Amino acid sequence: MHAILIDVTKCTGCELCGQACVDANGLDRDNANVDRVTSPDGLSANRLSAVVKVSEGHFAKKSCMHCLEPSCVSACLVGGITKRPDGPVVYDPSKCIGCRYCMLACPFHIPRYEWDERNPYMKKCAMCFSRIDSGKVPACVEACPNGALTFGERGALLEEAHKKIAEKPTLYQDHVWGEEEFGGTSVLYISDVDLEKLNWPRFEAASIPSLTVALIEKTPFIGLGVGSCLLGLSWIIKRRMQLASEKRREVDPELDSREGGAGK
Amino acid sequence: MNSRLRLVKDLLWFVALFGLVAGVFRIWFGLGATTNLSDAMPWGLWKVLNMIAGVALSTSGFTVGFLVYVLKLEQFKPLVKPAVLVAFLGYGCSCLALLFDIGLPQRFWHPFVMWNEHSFLFEVFWCVSLYFTVTAIELSPTILKRLGMEKLSAWLHRIAFGVVVVGISLSSLHHSSLGSLFLVTPLRLHPLWYSSFIPWFFIISAIGAGLMFIILVRIGYAYFFNPEPVFGKQAEAAAGEACQRSGVGNTSRSRTPGTEIKMLERLAIIAASILALYLLMKVIDLFSTGSISALLAGTWESWLFAFELFIAAILPVVVIAIPRTRRSPYGLGLAALSASLGLALNRVDVGIFGYFQDALVPYFPSLAEWAVSFAVVAAAALAFFVISENFPIFDDRWKRREESLGFFRYSFDRLSHVCNTVLTDSLQRRTIIAVFAIPLAWILLYPPYHQGSQAEYAIVPSTGLDPMRTVLLIDGNRDAIKTEFHHADHQKRLGGENSCSKCHHATMPNDHATPCSRCHRNMITATNIFDHEKHMSYLVKSEHLTGLHPTNRSCAFCHTKEQPKSAANAKECTECHKENMRIQEQLDEHLALASACSFQAAMHDRCITCHNREEAQHPDKNLSHCSNCHKSLQPSAGSAMQALRSARDVLAPK
Repeated sequence: MHAILIDVTKCTGCELCGQACVDANGLDRDNANVDRVTSPDGLSANRLSAVVKVSEGHFAKKSCMHCLEPSCVSACLVGGITKRPDGPVVYDPSKCIGCRYCMLACPFHIPRYEWDERNPYMKKCAMCFSRIDSGKVPACVEACPNGALTFGERGALLEEAHKKIAEKPTLYQDHVWGEEEFGGTSVLYISDVDLEKLNWPRFEAASIPSLTVALIEKTPFIGLGVGSCLLGLSWIIKRRMQLASEKRREVDPELDSREGGAGK
Repeated sequence: MNSRLRLVKDLLWFVALFGLVAGVFRIWFGLGATTNLSDAMPWGLWKVLNMIAGVALSTSGFTVGFLVYVLKLEQFKPLVKPAVLVAFLGYGCSCLALLFDIGLPQRFWHPFVMWNEHSFLFEVFWCVSLYFTVTAIELSPTILKRLGMEKLSAWLHRIAFGVVVVGISLSSLHHSSLGSLFLVTPLRLHPLWYSSFIPWFFIISAIGAGLMFIILVRIGYAYFFNPEPVFGKQAEAAAGEACQRSGVGNTSRSRTPGTEIKMLERLAIIAASILALYLLMKVIDLFSTGSISALLAGTWESWLFAFELFIAAILPVVVIAIPRTRRSPYGLGLAALSASLGLALNRVDVGIFGYFQDALVPYFPSLAEWAVSFAVVAAAALAFFVISENFPIFDDRWKRREESLGFFRYSFDRLSHVCNTVLTDSLQRRTIIAVFAIPLAWILLYPPYHQGSQAEYAIVPSTGLDPMRTVLLIDGNRDAIKTEFHHADHQKRLGGENSCSKCHHATMPNDHATPCSRCHRNMITATNIFDHEKHMSYLVKSEHLTGLHPTNRSCAFCHTKEQPKSAANAKECTECHKENMRIQEQLDEHLALASACSFQAAMHDRCITCHNREEAQHPDKNLSHCSNCHKSLQPSAGSAMQALRSARDVLAPK
């Protein structure tokens, strides 16, 4: 599975990755749509990758984390977002109905919307999957002048990340962001400062879909269960009422004629 | 038609027509132009208030069905048809609002053919669609019978029980799933509202408040059309007078209770016990998840939560628990109204207010959002009036109406040559309302692009705007006069793409607004940008050097004993600046090379090159002359500083 390792200590915030992203995705270079960006991370429907200042003098690239168990994939009601077996989480605009549940579901606030379009679509990084298919690396990785981004197999990158941390334990924090958080991501970070600003909170649960999957799998059984319970309940009540009226008829045989044949 | 009903209908028409314009604008200009939704708050009024709260208030369709058809509580039978009507219209107007909300309404059918069984929204979509069909089937026998299709009506009536059971199963699924939608946002939703029990909260509160809502609808219908069964009838005037004369009883006793008030009271007790259960669960959840601390934190969210719980559960339960208030139609109405509003507020809290702490920006719906939101509700209310007046939903009023008003009568009587005023009258009124509402909406909503409503951003995201930073506008002293800084040019001169570290991070750690004078320090001569003085004084402080000339003792910290002291025999910067000078492999050049030309040379280079080039085309043939900037070179000139200032004014963008 492909992954990208981001070394925050090497990022100078030059934003060449963002420029490469704009060109690779054919986005509007002049219009950043920033008036609709309400969190100051610089992401919008025209900017799928941004550089965020995580603390004074420390920068990090922010774009789709390509989770191993993506919340957006489980949320999309038409199955328009899929996790490819080789890593990228990709979006199929031909299915989208524009419900924006993916935007609500993403714990990293990644999906952005083309608010200014009459027929709007969601926009997010797709790890340049077409470039990967043709044997190239994602545009941002290629553009980085400082070697802050590394593209490769996830397992190998994790090893490399731990090796780097072991080599310079005074520089790096002993943590690989994305190794376990939210069930693991295909974009990994090593850093010398805390990355909470990139929405990397300490999250206990395995992944966001794990919160819902157990419940949603029970759904058909709950529906059938409620239905059959109702049928059973109504049958019991009907039977009891029938018995009660029969009992009354035994006591008072003229009841039938008085009630106009209600007991039948 | 009484006047207060006419006023209500006129208002509803106004709201509906006003919102129609907003809806057209929404479809034509797009979501961004007409709504205040943003990337941080992707779900707004239409989804949360109209869809989630609207559907939740329409639960009476299945709860009353459950009471009557499954539990065989025949006493609630008069409410079955109204409940089904409320459910049908509630779901209908919710789905209509949703069509405006989704980005691509023309694709609303996609989830029917494109499935993702792992999505709660998918489940909600299917259940709501199916249940909407169920309510239509449940409602249709009444309508069809009235329209003369007896056979079809009778057949539909026969399958009614099956349909009700299917409806209850579907409802039990999607009302909890509407809550489950928010399970995926554990980090974004405020802890007061986020809970793993949120599906339970949603379905239980929806059942309780849905019953309350049908009580409210019943009382409302009675208020407008037929007060007798609910409000009771005036007792015989003589009897009342007799009571007063004899001094027994009081005026409140002069009313006899209506025939249906007893039933509504019983239903309210059921609803209130469900709401009490909801309240109990909420309180237990508060303590078990520890979010009680968030409630006691005193933030606006905790006050909102307390208020919501008060009107959604506490007030209705208390009002219903007191026999005196629950027996009065006004008490019942108050409890029902409070519970219904409380439910709507709860959904808005979960769907909108609960996300403010995460989005960091407040979201307030735009006028167009409010207009569409109220318009679909108004349209549903108008449909409610039409159906309840012309079909046997609540009572037999429609019969009388047919006789007196003639719904299907020709509007023009050929015999007498008199226009039937029933139809024309209402048409005229609606036309007048439309003449006012539509232009007013047009004026208020057009142009739909409301700029400036977005917040000003402290950090202007420069991402990708000019990644090469060809030219930067620097406003170092914040006097709104920006100076051009040819960044790309500097970069080229300093060694191309890999030279960033010469100015950023390495030589001037953490410095983002470097003034020109930081490098071009001397007016006339080229200078080394290494700040020797600053390093000396820093060492005095950090190493607590003392003596007559403490700075003299600092030399040895960097320089070796070789003489004379120079950059050649000094330490590498990175030996001390371990943290901030992180790009170590790029610091290959010796610091002595990191020098800058004089300020004069820099400024001259920047101005003169361009002036020389432009002189040929410029009308002022002295463009490259020194006096263009150095006004003091002219006979009647001021100081040199004034000259520079005037030069700056020329450069500053107007």
